[in-house]
Amino acid sequence: MVTVTAQISPVPAAPQSGMSRDHRGSPIPTGAMIATRFMELRKRRGLMIALILVNIGIPTVFLTVRLLAHAFDPKSYGPAGGYSIYTGLVAGVMYVFGFIVAATLGCTAGSVDLSEGMFRHLVVSGRSRLALYLARIPAGLAIVVPLVAVGFTIVCAVCVFAAPTRLNYDGVNVPVGLSRAGFENWAANHSDLVMCDFGYNGPGLPNVPCGPNGQIIKVKPGSQGPAAQPTPAQLKAAAIAVARQNYSSYASDFLYPSDSLMIKSGLWLELEALIGLLVGLGLASLLGQRTVAVILMIVLEVVLTPIFSRARIAHLLNLQRAVVGVATAHLAPGGLPVLGGGGGGPGGGNGNPLLVPESTTVAVCVIIAWLVVWTALGAWRMMTRDA
Amino acid sequence: MSATALPDAFHRLAAESQWAVETHGLTKRFGDNVAVDGVELLVPRGCAFGYLGPNGAGKTTLIRVLLGLTQADAGTTSLLGYPVPKHRDVALARVGAIVDEPRFHGHLTGRQNLQMLAAVREREARDRIGPSLERVGLAGRADDKVSKYSMGMRQRLGVAACLIGDPQLLILDEPMNGLDPAGMAEIRDMILALVAEGRTVVLSSHLLDEVERTCDAVAIVDRGKIIRQGPISELLAGAAVVLQVECSEPDRARALIGGSSIAARIEVGTLGLGITLAGGTPRDVVAEINRILVTGGISVYRLQEVQASLEAWFLQVTSRLGAS
Repeated sequence: MVTVTAQISPVPAAPQSGMSRDHRGSPIPTGAMIATRFMELRKRRGLMIALILVNIGIPTVFLTVRLLAHAFDPKSYGPAGGYSIYTGLVAGVMYVFGFIVAATLGCTAGSVDLSEGMFRHLVVSGRSRLALYLARIPAGLAIVVPLVAVGFTIVCAVCVFAAPTRLNYDGVNVPVGLSRAGFENWAANHSDLVMCDFGYNGPGLPNVPCGPNGQIIKVKPGSQGPAAQPTPAQLKAAAIAVARQNYSSYASDFLYPSDSLMIKSGLWLELEALIGLLVGLGLASLLGQRTVAVILMIVLEVVLTPIFSRARIAHLLNLQRAVVGVATAHLAPGGLPVLGGGGGGPGGGNGNPLLVPESTTVAVCVIIAWLVVWTALGAWRMMTRDA
Repeated sequence: MSATALPDAFHRLAAESQWAVETHGLTKRFGDNVAVDGVELLVPRGCAFGYLGPNGAGKTTLIRVLLGLTQADAGTTSLLGYPVPKHRDVALARVGAIVDEPRFHGHLTGRQNLQMLAAVREREARDRIGPSLERVGLAGRADDKVSKYSMGMRQRLGVAACLIGDPQLLILDEPMNGLDPAGMAEIRDMILALVAEGRTVVLSSHLLDEVERTCDAVAIVDRGKIIRQGPISELLAGAAVVLQVECSEPDRARALIGGSSIAARIEVGTLGLGITLAGGTPRDVVAEINRILVTGGISVYRLQEVQASLEAWFLQVTSRLGAS
């Protein structure tokens, strides 16, 4: 084999105008990289429509229908807002679907450069691949966070401004926001309703016959019937005892969500969206494609998380605790029903005995671990992948 | 290490390197298949350099290795004097490349795609988007979605993507694909203009005629190895000499030349004799052939030396390898 090695005469190197001073090897993405990535994601019309529909459209349509129904037929349809509607929408719809759409956005951001052939152009620029990966995180958050915030604001506004005007506790209209003493005082003045309608679990109450409207049936002295009719003083004392036992339950019922609950719920939803985005981004980058990654994320949220948060499998308890959905359920604000239904206690997810037990510290560690590990895996794959 | 972290002396040293691309023993394997086999490639600065080879010869793989799109298994590489991958970011800052078919985000316009690419380069790259689109003739369609672009328009957009980095070295993999003759001529003129500006263009193509008309030097790769490289004029000087002879009694003429001491392959065709002489054969041999024929009573109507083309030479070289 013969190789001709003669060369043509090279010309001197041309001056390199504007030689790179842009820290191209730095892993920190520039503002322009984030802005153009945001533009690239925002211009995906189908994805944006899906995101808006789920985060804003579903709650808006649901609340609009309730507002109209209540406006036209208030006797048949209750107020559109209120505490129970709020908890149902936040914990039942926005939590699950918010995660899924954030994950879909993350999976898209993590895979489209590769599938659409743009990855090669970006790598050829000499820019750090880690910076290319990290630019997707703020760009994705800049889309998801405002969308979740807008949808959540609509829910909060309707639930507060279209809330019921009276609190219905065990079928009895009770004033809102009473202190323990006030609640007991109100019970003493409405002993008939309290004795007949409030739940009580304990000894020592006089046995009183109740009518259909929650009023004690008066028995004339000497007539046949239940034993001795309690005196008004005895009824008041008994009503106070019943009220004392019911106070904690009463105190967790509201006409509309408190400011504190709304703030905590909003942050909790944003946390869930952040997790969906970052895990989806890492998973899609690792797999190199979107469809499978989205399916896996849906399976995680809709199938695995409800199962692992409820079923107590003795040998897999620690594995169950390591599921990110179980950990976020433990961080649910007090007053929200936890994942998969079942109602919430004052302590939120951690206060619910139906959940697999897990401390707040462990839950926080699990969430951080998921975010760090999936980001690291996605970035590693991007840095080592053939372009 | 970023560009700013390197001392100016290092940049000066790199600028003094006479080679735009320099590889030694570069090797890339995919399992048992050696796609790039100990490649020694020297591409001088400021020229158009053709990179030729049959399908599957390893052309695109070598380009991908040079650009750091995939890692080499062995060997060293430097681009514009900077060792790669050690100073990949600095080297690639002044490199523009199209590898395989240029693909972009279809839902974005051509301009928006370039904005994405400019964002990962230096700040000045954003100011070059408009002029680059003008230069490749896409200014009028820059705000159309890329999904509506033809293959040729995507090729032009790929070239524009290279130009926004103000590259000293352009590596273009089959840039003529999908272009009509007018488009090919425009790209050819653009390559020549880029070279005239002092840039280096490495052109991988199977269109040998285009390479011959555009490039100053070539390398031929086969089965992962570079088998020839150098200026086209020098390479063709070593190519076989073909004579076309139109004469009376071609069969007798063949016998006469065959009976002489001249080493040649002689074929009788419809146009007369085709005589192939080894590369580097002195011109006196052509006169000797004419003398033998005339002396033997053969009427010679025409004797023409066929100009050796890159295509003929390429086929000659690669077919010889295939036979071996």
